[in-house]
Amino acid sequence: MGATLNVLWRYSPLLICLVLWEIVATAGPFANQLLPDVKQVAVAFWGLIQDGEIIQHGARSLYRAAVGFGLAVVVGSAAGLLMASFRPVRLLVNPIVQIFYPMPKSALIPVMMIWFGLGDMSKIVLIFIGCLLPVIISSYNGARGVNPFLLWSARSLGASAASTLVQVTLPAAMPEILNGIRTALAFAFILMVSSEFVIAKDGFGYLISQLGDGGAYAAMFAVIFVVAAVGFTADRLYGAFVRHQLRWREP
Amino acid sequence: MNRTASPTIPAPRTAGRASPGPGSPLAGAWRAVYRRLTSDTAIQFLVIAVLLIAWETVTRLGLVHPFLLPRFSAIIERIFNNVVAGKVFMDLGLTLYRAATGFFIGVIIAIPLGVLMARNATVRWFFDPLISIGFPMPKISFLPIFILWFGIFDTSKIVMIAFSCFFPVVTATYAATLGVDKWVIWSARSFGATENQVLREVVLPMALPQIMTGIQIAVPVGLITTVVTEMLMGGPGIGGSMMAAGRFADSVGVFAGIVEIALLGAVVVKGVERLRAYLLRWHTEARH
Amino acid sequence: MSGVHQPAAGGIGIEIRDVSHHYGGRNGQGGVTALDHINLDIRPNEFHCLLGPSGCGKSTLLYLIGGFIPVQSGVIETSRGKVTGPSPERGIVFQNFALFPWKTVLQNTLYGLEKLGLPKKEREEKAKHFIDLVHLSGFENAYPSQLSGGMQQRAAIARTLAVDPEILLMDEPFGALDAQTRRVMQEELRSIFERTRKTVVFVTHDVQEAVFLADRISIMSARPGRMQHVLDVSVDRSGGEEVMKRPEFVEIGEHIWGLVRDQAIAATRGAH
Repeated sequence: MGATLNVLWRYSPLLICLVLWEIVATAGPFANQLLPDVKQVAVAFWGLIQDGEIIQHGARSLYRAAVGFGLAVVVGSAAGLLMASFRPVRLLVNPIVQIFYPMPKSALIPVMMIWFGLGDMSKIVLIFIGCLLPVIISSYNGARGVNPFLLWSARSLGASAASTLVQVTLPAAMPEILNGIRTALAFAFILMVSSEFVIAKDGFGYLISQLGDGGAYAAMFAVIFVVAAVGFTADRLYGAFVRHQLRWREP
Repeated sequence: MNRTASPTIPAPRTAGRASPGPGSPLAGAWRAVYRRLTSDTAIQFLVIAVLLIAWETVTRLGLVHPFLLPRFSAIIERIFNNVVAGKVFMDLGLTLYRAATGFFIGVIIAIPLGVLMARNATVRWFFDPLISIGFPMPKISFLPIFILWFGIFDTSKIVMIAFSCFFPVVTATYAATLGVDKWVIWSARSFGATENQVLREVVLPMALPQIMTGIQIAVPVGLITTVVTEMLMGGPGIGGSMMAAGRFADSVGVFAGIVEIALLGAVVVKGVERLRAYLLRWHTEARH
Repeated sequence: MSGVHQPAAGGIGIEIRDVSHHYGGRNGQGGVTALDHINLDIRPNEFHCLLGPSGCGKSTLLYLIGGFIPVQSGVIETSRGKVTGPSPERGIVFQNFALFPWKTVLQNTLYGLEKLGLPKKEREEKAKHFIDLVHLSGFENAYPSQLSGGMQQRAAIARTLAVDPEILLMDEPFGALDAQTRRVMQEELRSIFERTRKTVVFVTHDVQEAVFLADRISIMSARPGRMQHVLDVSVDRSGGEEVMKRPEFVEIGEHIWGLVRDQAIAATRGAH
């Protein structure tokens, strides 16, 4: 009971914002022109669910984000570890990382269109590239920052170089890798929506632009809030996963 | 969030191994030249050069369709022409203007609000849930709303960019200000510092490393957002130019745009790193 | 005194011949000479302390014996042959514990046993035995971050002892502990040593600690690190902590302090 009240109190500012929104939307000077009211958005949301449109488009988007992001996590962590452990790998990969890191990845959207067309592949590759760099850099920094005494301990306990990399360097670098993956997760959603805004036949971003172009603003607002909620939920779930993974750090 | 987003990959700690025995002066000089040629920096530039030569060769031999991958020299030529015609400065200048304006508006709201949240319970109560929900959301999805409200010209772009840059900075400022060590604040008070002095002379400098980390997240996010808004709404600016080139199947133009925006990104990101190093020259992180 | 305890199989000693080591600099110019032509014989089954001021290269010498850094000049040999890299025959305990923070005490202790390829049951038994030996029973499933410094160092010692190394290298293992804990750990280490009789090389800058623990003490000087004296500490140790108050201990302590005093003063002045 007390806990419920607490949560209610904590999130009451959200309710206040909803009420303000409702007042502005119904009584304000631009009523129903630029700002649909809460009820209209809710009705539109229910309609999108019922005809399955939002689910279809959402599944497409999330599929693209998941594949690009997942590949980036695997490839990026491995690349960072190898760069930190082997000089030739570092010398080969680092210049490419340095060139791509500061580039705003959304600039690659037209090239992805030229190379892969309008389908899934162009978005997956874009998301992959965008997520790859933060993961590589965090994995590299994490692996370089590993306490050398841990590596020495492992070697003196009879571990081979390969098993030290997997069993000691990787877990020791894990806090930093997980941090980089969180950045990558945010990039995955940004690039997913951006690329679908610019070029797509389906997906969340496409649905939003299409509804906006057709003047269905209530439905457009509904989809935007759904995308925001999905991004928020993914980040929270990831946070819980990280806390579980790193429970050894808590005293 | 609490790590520097700095992408610099420091040179490896080469365990200096002194080779015993004297060498002839000539051998020593040769060894110095050899060492310079095989230094990490030289090899990395070589890697880039080899990649560029491979690109040029492959495209000249016609192994790749020029629409998919134009010759590197053609891209350089286009950029040169764009420079001569002043188009580069127009495009990059507008892009930079939008990105910078949006970024500064976002930061100017975010830093005071973050500090206020850390110090005032009411402000914290109101903004904490809004910001903790807003921080992980993909802000770019709100772009159509801003277009609806502010039209397709600069206002909606700048509002979108400010909105995107605001969250990482406010979150970092709030966490950093809360985390300032109370011992330092107490010792400042014991010297008779007023609340305002404590804020300006102790809290903000102590919070600065983390605030800078937030800014270093906001800058690339701001650039990504700028390019997307330009691509969607067209007109002058690097994003709009690239989309126009793409529409006319001018792949040289698209690639030239990528190289130009990559250069701008590199200058901005490195500039922020320099700024961080300068502002935090007193900090232990400056000492290595 | 050593003859009584020495197991029939015999432990292994360490021969250090003419070992020098430089850090930094180029082509032998500049940099720091950490070790300058060190010669030392560490006898089988003895507790040997390397004593010297900070910066005298005693840790470097220990890392060379461990095989963690490559020998630049000279030779380090055990009866198993030349030292060329780390090996489980030479176990090490570091000052900062170097436990794997993502593994529990039990998992840390099991780590080396897994590398030995022992069957699961035997691994568990051995790990439990050594956790018990260092008085950590009941904390098997705790993570290092949940333990005090002293307990973490016990866990590190258990992890190293579990693989049954013939040589035990200790790099100021009690340096990060508070005074009382340090004292208790010293007594326990000595008693573990009496029971297991490994060859121990123990690095410290604490004269008392060296006198209390060691059968022999090598005193090193700083910059460049050189071997100054090697002393026998042949005294009766029965009787726990009262031992330190006996006149022969006090006398050896005074004697060594006299030998290292000038070094220590030079080190504080010369250190940057």
